[in-house]
Amino acid sequence: MQDSMKVCTGNFGKHAQSIEAYKKLGGYSTISKSLFEMSQFEVIDRVQRAGLRGRGGAGFPTGMKWSFVPRNTGKPVYIVVNADEGEGGTYKDHFLLLEDPHRLIEGLIIAGWALGARTAYIYARGEFLPCIESVNKALNEAYAAGYLGENIMGTKFSFDIFVHRGAGAYICGEETALINSLEGQKGQPRLKPPFPAVAGAWASPTCVNNVETIMSLPWIFSHPVEEYTKMGTPRAHGTKVFCVSGDVKRPGLYEAPLGTPLMEMLTSEEYCQGIIGNLKGVIPGGSSCPPLLPEECENATLDYECMASLKTMFGSGAIIVFNDTHNAVDILDVLGHFYSHESCGQCTPCREGTGFAKRVLDSILRGEGHDGDIELLQGISAGFGGTTICPLSISLGGPLNVYTRKYRADFEEYIAKNPNHAEPRLRPTVRLGAYW
Amino acid sequence: MSNHYNMPHLPTAKSPRVTIEVDGQNVEVPGDTNLLEALKAVGIETPHVCYHPYLPVSGNCRQCLVETEGPRGKALIISCFTPVKEGMKISTPRSSERVKNARAAVSEFMLLNHPLDCPICDKAGECTLQENYVEAGKDTSRLFPEVGKNYHGNPDHQFYDTKGQLRGGKRVDIGPRIFLDEERCVQCDRCVRFMRDVAGDEQLQLALRADKTYITTFPGRKLDHEYDLCVTDVCPTGAMTAKYFRFQQRVWMLSRTATISMDDSLGANIWLEHNNGYIWRVMPRCNPEVNRTWISNTSRLAFQQFAKDRLPVGSLDALKKALAAEGKIAFVLGGSATNEDAAALKTLVNKLGARAEVFVGTFAPVGTPDGISKSGDPVANRAGFALFGFTATAEDLAKRASEFKTLVSLSADLWGSDASKAKALEVIPNRISISAKNDATAKKSSTVYGVNHWSEVSGSMVNVNSILQKLNAAPTSPDAELAPLFSVLFALAGEEVTSAAIAFKKAGEFAPKLAKLSFDAIHSTGELLDGDAAV
Repeated sequence: MQDSMKVCTGNFGKHAQSIEAYKKLGGYSTISKSLFEMSQFEVIDRVQRAGLRGRGGAGFPTGMKWSFVPRNTGKPVYIVVNADEGEGGTYKDHFLLLEDPHRLIEGLIIAGWALGARTAYIYARGEFLPCIESVNKALNEAYAAGYLGENIMGTKFSFDIFVHRGAGAYICGEETALINSLEGQKGQPRLKPPFPAVAGAWASPTCVNNVETIMSLPWIFSHPVEEYTKMGTPRAHGTKVFCVSGDVKRPGLYEAPLGTPLMEMLTSEEYCQGIIGNLKGVIPGGSSCPPLLPEECENATLDYECMASLKTMFGSGAIIVFNDTHNAVDILDVLGHFYSHESCGQCTPCREGTGFAKRVLDSILRGEGHDGDIELLQGISAGFGGTTICPLSISLGGPLNVYTRKYRADFEEYIAKNPNHAEPRLRPTVRLGAYW
Repeated sequence: MSNHYNMPHLPTAKSPRVTIEVDGQNVEVPGDTNLLEALKAVGIETPHVCYHPYLPVSGNCRQCLVETEGPRGKALIISCFTPVKEGMKISTPRSSERVKNARAAVSEFMLLNHPLDCPICDKAGECTLQENYVEAGKDTSRLFPEVGKNYHGNPDHQFYDTKGQLRGGKRVDIGPRIFLDEERCVQCDRCVRFMRDVAGDEQLQLALRADKTYITTFPGRKLDHEYDLCVTDVCPTGAMTAKYFRFQQRVWMLSRTATISMDDSLGANIWLEHNNGYIWRVMPRCNPEVNRTWISNTSRLAFQQFAKDRLPVGSLDALKKALAAEGKIAFVLGGSATNEDAAALKTLVNKLGARAEVFVGTFAPVGTPDGISKSGDPVANRAGFALFGFTATAEDLAKRASEFKTLVSLSADLWGSDASKAKALEVIPNRISISAKNDATAKKSSTVYGVNHWSEVSGSMVNVNSILQKLNAAPTSPDAELAPLFSVLFALAGEEVTSAAIAFKKAGEFAPKLAKLSFDAIHSTGELLDGDAAV
């Protein structure tokens, strides 16, 4: 893919961190009179026509999300950039913030104008110290250059951006948990409704967007809409940044149009240049997505609809490839540890169930598995389905169900290591000793 | 933790009615409430743990799941947070296997890391988890020894038991009145919400996350609040236990009597829970118009003094003789006296004629309402006394003490409330105390006569908001010879009245507002008296 067609990563490797370099590469060209002559609805309409979909994982149309934000409520509208990247396998926001912070600022100004917002927050994951440094430096430059602050470009539009450092909880990537954390409360998802678009941060209308979504805006506004819609599939336009990791020859961050065949991403010279060893499976969109078997990968394309038809998720575009040297039980155990550690502890099924699944997986790994453990794991997964406030329990529930189905042999092999695996289990006896 | 501004809307008699489809049948439910309350109104109980009608909805237990049919197909939703809408289609476990399985799964998860020590748990018998398990749980355990439990608890309090299992903190002293059992906690968040949103003093919080979550106070602080014992009521498990009731009684041994706490003019509705003639604890009784489900520690712990320092029954003849003495008589009616007592006093005063005057209350100071279950006025039945024209206070009596030759304190501890103010009354030579307690006033009196305590009498009172409320007698009288105050006063007036119903009828003769009602017809949550009768 040509650099000029790269929506988000076009400036990578070009030292675009400073405002001079960024402007030399065509940056801040959209922040002009022509933008501020557009009405807010025209801006939103343009985003809707471009068909930009949220890049955080759910793929909700961005223009539609913006149109839900009510006007004239008497309360300020907040824009929050979700840079709390925690999904296993995802590292795109890290590099986007590090390499091209000004593009984020430019995108935020466009979004701020579209939503009539005065203030934007960048909620960055606490560990992203270099990124935060890079963004803060860029913010200072943008303020000095007059792109931020009072009366931008001599218009009546004023806009401020603040960076908020999270404390490193995975769940704060969920928008309502993020808002709670931003408000200074414990990062736990809220009950919905009200949705953040109506009552989010400080009970005001709030729009939470992913870093990549916001960073797509400068390109969309500096090119004709048709050029953006030309890329991708009929239902998902544009490009996506993919983070490929695992058993491929050249793992890394690649921007490719949506709808690119999965195998092209893994094997072509332009991208990953081939798979190491015999392919066993591919996790297409981050650790919470159920994996694809090699035969499913053959015809899979990288877009929301194809992945949904394969009963997995496109997610954040984090492709994790594993070959047959890896065992599915080990992989699932890692996920069990991660999600049981990251559960916010609010809903009962997730709080207790993720730890339960982890302990069952640990017992299998220790060689204490029994026949029926696979069904037990699937039963735990069934208990997660749609019973919690946020989808974190399903992030483990989906993989639990699919790994045990698709890689059942791995589990059986591990369970067989227990010489007594077929014997009936000892029921726990309730006999409480004196413990006080 | 989540949106703490969403208090549940509770249905009232005036709620609009809407029709929803439950399990394929159309039912009419209150329309301005949540699904859980609406289903309850038509007799369908939904198991729940974290939901409490007088606390903001937090929606974290996920036990109250029902299935709803929407534009995007069937989905599980929590009934405590979903408002009722006309034409909703709801499936409960009676028709939906999915709901049944989901509730069973939640019940399993809830009990997974909960110590099943019900036989030694104080909450057993009134535990929400037990009830939900019977209703919605699974019958076999899938938790095997190799998998093990993961008890919740503060890392500082965790310990290994004799089997090598890591346990959560037991018997953690989190405040002067409460012990916390960390591993029994199911993180429902109710106590946190109670302290934050009802008591208005955030003293509890859930610390850490996932299955390491535990309930705790803030570092270096204790749980100490006038309403802190209410967290033992809202706690669905045995995690929060009151020190005074710990290991005293199994709850299923207790009988309970609905009555009114007569230490404050709001008249908090309470249950007196008794066994073998002793009161073991006092629990709040739900009354949406009065105290909702809260009572203060003062009201709750007052029962410990009920049976102590009691006056024995005296001689009625001695009383009659003392009353027959020359000069004016001042009757001081204590705040805990009922309307029936007031009616009996009115009868007696009418008989004695102009030489008798009635004063109400003691010298205890009148405070301000706390907005939860106290109005601050220690004269509980002040509004009721006003119906009989008894409005002069003990302060008025103190100013005119020299006019009187006889002082009759009726359950009014004048010296106990403020001995320095009561000193003015010592000019009255002839002092009589008719009271349940051998208090400071009884000790200052020449003639004493013991009667039943308010917890042992039936009667009625009018609270500060003009709500007529009924007291019932708990069978905890230490001496069968003791009689209620009203029957002693009626006896002095030459009438024999032993039943509260008859005394209430007599009260109607003096107070027309009460004449329209019969004693038995007073609802357990009280009757609002119309007009300006009670101030």
